[in-house]
Amino acid sequence: MMQGSISNRIRTLRFMNGEMSQAELGQRIGLTRQTVAAIEAGKYSPSLEAAFRIAEVFNVPLGEVFQWEVKAAPSKAS
Amino acid sequence: MSYREKIAWLSLAAMAVAYGPYFVLATRSPRPWEPFPHLHPLGLFAVVSIVRMLILGAGYLYLRLGSPREERSARDERDRAIEQRSLNAAYYVLIAGMILVGCIMPFSSTGWTIANAAIFWIVAAEVVHYGVVVASYRVQASV
Repeated sequence: MMQGSISNRIRTLRFMNGEMSQAELGQRIGLTRQTVAAIEAGKYSPSLEAAFRIAEVFNVPLGEVFQWEVKAAPSKAS
Repeated sequence: MSYREKIAWLSLAAMAVAYGPYFVLATRSPRPWEPFPHLHPLGLFAVVSIVRMLILGAGYLYLRLGSPREERSARDERDRAIEQRSLNAAYYVLIAGMILVGCIMPFSSTGWTIANAAIFWIVAAEVVHYGVVVASYRVQASV
């Protein structure tokens, strides 16, 4: 299976949107401030619906908020 | 720390304070000379239940007054995911305990031994439930 991790640019996008607070973002997408903080720190992966809502708030495509980074598979010794 | 994590800590503390001493006292040897042999364990269980309710009531009141309304609002998707995970874990503990108490213990034990074992497994399942809740919030906590 392909290994990878999800990163996000929520902190940057919040900054670019008038230093929007985590609480305000959470209120607009129906999540708590703690959940937004966990998403931002990469400790919780939101549902697809919540991810689209976040992108909608910042008015950017989903791919600009979340990125999938593929981890290089360890090379097999032959 | 989120409101729901505080509630989970409160529930764990109430359980430890109430049922810790209960199981220590319940494992003492019974006193068969008493005219009402069931009165002592029943009274003990009643006291423990009341103590637990008092701790939970006072704790809920304290947390409710000390937390903003928005923190106490409806659960979001992460809260529901954590609750689901914790209930899954607790379910297996409860099922294992009930199989032991209901299917195995009746062949070797009787009366209050079985009743206390059932109480023990219910408490153990609750501890696992709230323990997983606390651990999940701790692992995902970032601020």
